[in-house]
This record gives sequence, structure tokens and C-alpha cells, in this order.
Amino acid sequence: MQRPVSSLSLSPGVKMKLVNAGFQFTADLLHLKPLQLSKETSLTQQEALEVLQAVRREEGGGGGGGGGGGGAGAPPSLTALELLQKEEEMRSIVTFSSRLDAALGGGLPVGKTTEICGAPGVGKTQLCLQLAVDVQVPQCFGGLGGQAVYVDTEGSFLLQRVVDIAAAAVHHCSLLVEDDEQRVAMETFTVETILSNIFLVRCHDYVELLAEVHLLPDFLSEHPRVRLLAIDSVAFPFRLHFDDLSQRTRLLNGLAQRLIAMATGHGIAVAMTNQMTTRLSGGQSQLVPALGESWGHAPTIRLLLHWAGSRRMAAIFKSPDHRGATVQYQITSEGFRDVDQSEQPPSKRPRTQTVESSGSQRDASC
Amino acid sequence: MVVLREGMCPGLDEALVRDLRAADIKTVEDVVSSDIEELAQRCSVSYKALFAIRRVLLAQHTAFPVSGADLYEELLSSTAILSTGNPSLDKLLDSGLYTGEITELSGGPGSGKSQVCFGVAVHISYQLKQSVIFLDTTGGLTASRLLQMLQAETSSTEEQASIGGGSVKAVIVDSVSAVISPLLGGKQNEGMSLMIQVAGVLKTLAKDFNVAALVTNHVTRSGSGEVQPGLGVSWSPIPRTRILLERVERAAPASHSSLRSATLIKSSRQGGTTRLLRIHSQIQLGETFWALLSSSGSASVCVAEAAS
Repeated sequence: MQRPVSSLSLSPGVKMKLVNAGFQFTADLLHLKPLQLSKETSLTQQEALEVLQAVRREEGGGGGGGGGGGGAGAPPSLTALELLQKEEEMRSIVTFSSRLDAALGGGLPVGKTTEICGAPGVGKTQLCLQLAVDVQVPQCFGGLGGQAVYVDTEGSFLLQRVVDIAAAAVHHCSLLVEDDEQRVAMETFTVETILSNIFLVRCHDYVELLAEVHLLPDFLSEHPRVRLLAIDSVAFPFRLHFDDLSQRTRLLNGLAQRLIAMATGHGIAVAMTNQMTTRLSGGQSQLVPALGESWGHAPTIRLLLHWAGSRRMAAIFKSPDHRGATVQYQITSEGFRDVDQSEQPPSKRPRTQTVESSGSQRDASC
Repeated sequence: MVVLREGMCPGLDEALVRDLRAADIKTVEDVVSSDIEELAQRCSVSYKALFAIRRVLLAQHTAFPVSGADLYEELLSSTAILSTGNPSLDKLLDSGLYTGEITELSGGPGSGKSQVCFGVAVHISYQLKQSVIFLDTTGGLTASRLLQMLQAETSSTEEQASIGGGSVKAVIVDSVSAVISPLLGGKQNEGMSLMIQVAGVLKTLAKDFNVAALVTNHVTRSGSGEVQPGLGVSWSPIPRTRILLERVERAAPASHSSLRSATLIKSSRQGGTTRLLRIHSQIQLGETFWALLSSSGSASVCVAEAAS
């Protein structure tokens, strides 16, 4: 089967000139020199050179080099057995809530996109901050020892809160120190280093967010230790003043694909937060995640944080390799934690949640 | 428009191509549609040579008719029906996935499309001992889930590791809409043509190599609020059979039931009268489904991750 020219990744003007000159398949282009091509198709020399490079890459590439994202050419194929081996090497980011980790199979998986949706104040930002600290836990303690990129679109990144969470994490790890290796690791795991390993980006509207996501692959290549990309939140810039909904859907789909490419290509975990909106169906209203039906397909895993009375619950709504499950959690001054069983028996008695004092910012309302 | 190149047919050498170019004959269409006598005089080439070249070019580029009986014979001998591993899904699909055709599974997020694809891949790979090519565009393919499905049925690691070694019988694309829907609409005028190209390639693949193509699609809400498969009206004639998967709504919306319902939306075989296009069938996509599908040699499933 021959490959048509229009399936190469070139600009539409170039493709049109090629087709008008009669070149339908890449096989026709293989044996041409750039000068000949530019004369026949009235392309500039530079464009002709690019076209021929693209064609040669397609023919020569195939199963060979070049990982997932970026660049033309077929991505390499693996057998399921090889994929299994690769997966066993990839670890997860613990959330410090052991029940949620158990439900997720170890924590937030690396190499996949996860969406955290919930009503305002339920703890999405807190979970993101916790993950940004947790990804840095040294490997000898079971963490990833990586860095984090935090994209903040709502302005809810509060430094003091991160300091509290980081201090609690350091304290928690220092209690676990058993041998010399861990002692050495603890010297590099301090609040200062934690803060220095979080790269914060502040985006004010959706254009900045899209631009940032475009530039991230280069950044990730320069900083290979990054293991988490947290976007808080994806919904906020896309819900403000967006008139053309079909354009929004297109942009979101493109964004989702780029994030998936980054997650698999660079081996990072992508966590995004989403807001909730109300859907009216037949006289009844229901809280559903925002950004529409097609956005629901974008993240690989969906976590729904909701209130059940006065308790906070986390539900796994969509996951390809784990059953749906609901666990309870709480937000303490130390961060995102399990509900302590001894204190809180499952009764109807209203619970007092110890909500963090210094600035738990309520997420922007729907 | 096929450009004339030397070596395309015997007798068409570089000198002749240049002469023809000089007479403004650049493509095969020009050769076929022009007057040979006049052309022979203009280019000072022999009439016989040109006539022979034209005959060869015509023969190269025509499609030959096939008699209905031959076609039927060929279809009977080459089409295979691949069972999906789940009896009720097979019944919905008229006994399984047909090779040479595209079957589409659409559904909302979390409705089970990827899970059904995994199950089918695992079943074909182990039970039927054939290879499967799995194109994953969503990042949702986890080999550990495939292994889980495999282990539920056969716990012997020897069986698990045995190489299937059969030819490729199925191509599963999960999902085709994730990479195509960013291209559709708006000011981009290529999206539609790229989508139809992908459809054309899939169909030709299915027919020429005798494989069953299974694709997944997302859903959108129509004007009246009804759920319908995505990618629009242009995509709808492409798959031969379409199935819509939905979560079965229980009383408490946050409860996690593993029950899903599959509805046949379009089929060229089912439905006696022209009105009967919807056939509902509840299938249990719980543990029993996984148990039925879980026996497969994972080594013979090929996986390719595609990012747009």
C-alpha cells in the first residue's frame, strides 16, 4: 500500500503544491533532488528540502528509533510482554493516604494522566500540593526522588502551606530512618531542597496555558528528573469568557493528547484538577465534572473528590486497571492523610475535620 | 493525477518522457486523453510505440471487474468470524467480529470500551492463538491488566508465556477519536480528509490482509440531549457495525457497579425489518466477563503507542 503525500506532517500550502504538481504518493518523491522538486512544484528550496527529509524519515524510520511524542514517523511497537517489563520498572507517587494508594495500586501512576475533580473546598489543590512534595521523597524510602512542575492557573499555590506539608513529610521520613543509606538521603531531603525542586509556573489565561504545554517537552528534556506535572486547574482558564464551545473542545482535545504524549514519552505523571458543574436532566440536577463530555475521555484515570455529609470521600471513577472504589480521607495541617480509624468510628456523629488554618484557599466557584 | 516517470512501463525511457513534457504531456491522464496520431507527429515519436505505451498504462491503472460468484466464493473462503469471548456480546455482533470489516465501540468515559478491547485482544491471542495489533492513543493500555485477565483463567505460567505465533487476525485501535477530533472543525480544513484517509486505510487493511478491525469512539450529546457516537455524520458510514456501551445507572450515582449495557446501533446483518435498528442486550461486564476472556498468551499481543 502506498502512502499518500497528504498524510505527511507538512503545512497545508506545501501539500497542496505537491498534489497540484501530480505527486500523490511518497514513493514518487523518493528519488528526487531538492532542486528538481522545487522547480517542478514551485516550492522554495528550503521547503523542498523539508519535504524530502520528511519522506526519507518515513521510509527509513518505521520501527526504529524515536520514542512516543514529537517527530514524524511511526512510533516503535512493543509486544505486551515488553510493555509489562517496562511497567514494572515504573513506580507510583504515594499520596500519603494509604487507603487511596491501595485503591490506586500504589499511588498516582507515572506515565499516565490523572484528573482530580471535585466541588470547591474538597481538597483538590491540597492533593496537588501533597503530590508535589511526595514525588520528591527519596527512592530508598519508596518514593521517586524526582522534581515537580506545578502549573498554577488559579493563584491558589500558597508557599506557607507547601512549607507545612514539606516539613510534615520530612518529619515523617526522618522517623522511618533505619540504615545509613536512608540517613544519607535524609540530608538532602529538607524543606529547602523540597522547595527548590518544585518549578512553579503561573498562567493567567488559556493561551498561556497552551503555550506552556507546548514548551514543556523541551523543558522536560533539559530536566530529566521531573516526575510530576501538576496543573491546577485545567478548568478555570477554559471556563472564563469562552464563547466558541466547539473551539474549546478542540483545544482541550489537543491539550489532552499533548499531555498524554508527555506522560508516556518522558515518563512523568500528569495530575490535573477540574471543577464541577451542574447538569439538568429531566427536572433533576446532578453534579458532574466540568469541561464537557468529550473531556471525560482525555484523562486516563479520574478521581472524584466529594462530600458525603461532612466527610470527604475520594472515588475512583475511571481507571483502566483498577476497580472503582471509594475511600475516605481528611486534610490535616500536615496535608492529605487517611482518616484515622481509632478517632472516627463509622457512625452518624458529625465529624470535626481539622482543616488547615493558614490559607486553605477555596477554589474559584463554578 | 499520476505523473509520468521513466520506467513506468517498457518503452517509456527518459528521452521520451522529456519529449512528452515538452509537448505539455505530464501525466498519465494526458497520455490517455490525447490524440495519439497528433502526439506522435508533435513529439516525433513512432505511433506504434506511443500506442503500446498507452495500452500498458491503461492496463496498469484500470480496475478489473469481478463476477459476483467469484466474489462470493472468495468471501466464503477468506472471511473468518472471531469470537470476542463473551457469549452475549457475540450474539449482539452476530456471532463475533468479522474479518474484512470495521466494528465500532462507542461509549462515555468509564463505560468499558478499553476493557472490552483488552478482553478481545486477550481472547483472540490465547484462545484463538492469533496475533493482535493494538494501537493505543489514550495511554490507557496497561500490560498488568492484560496479565490480570490472563491469570484469572490459567494460572500456569507456561501457558501464559507460550508464543501464539499465528498471523495477525485483528487490529484494535483505542481510540480513533482521541487523535482525530482535535483536527475536526473550525478553520482547519484538513481534519475531515485525514479522517477519511484513516478510514480508507483501515478498510483496505481489513480487506487485503483479512483482519478484523475494532475501533473505539467517544460520545457526544445531540441537540435533544441524547447520547450519540462522536466524529460526526461523516464517520458513521465507515464502521459496518456500531455498538454503544453505557454504564447501568444504579440508585446511588457514586456506587461502583461493574455492569454495562451494550446496544447495537447499526448493523448490516441484524434486524429483520428496516425499522428494527436497536437491539438491547444487557451483558454482565463483571467478574464473569473477565474470567471468560482471561486466557491468552500475552507474548503474542503487539502493542503500538501512537501520539498525534
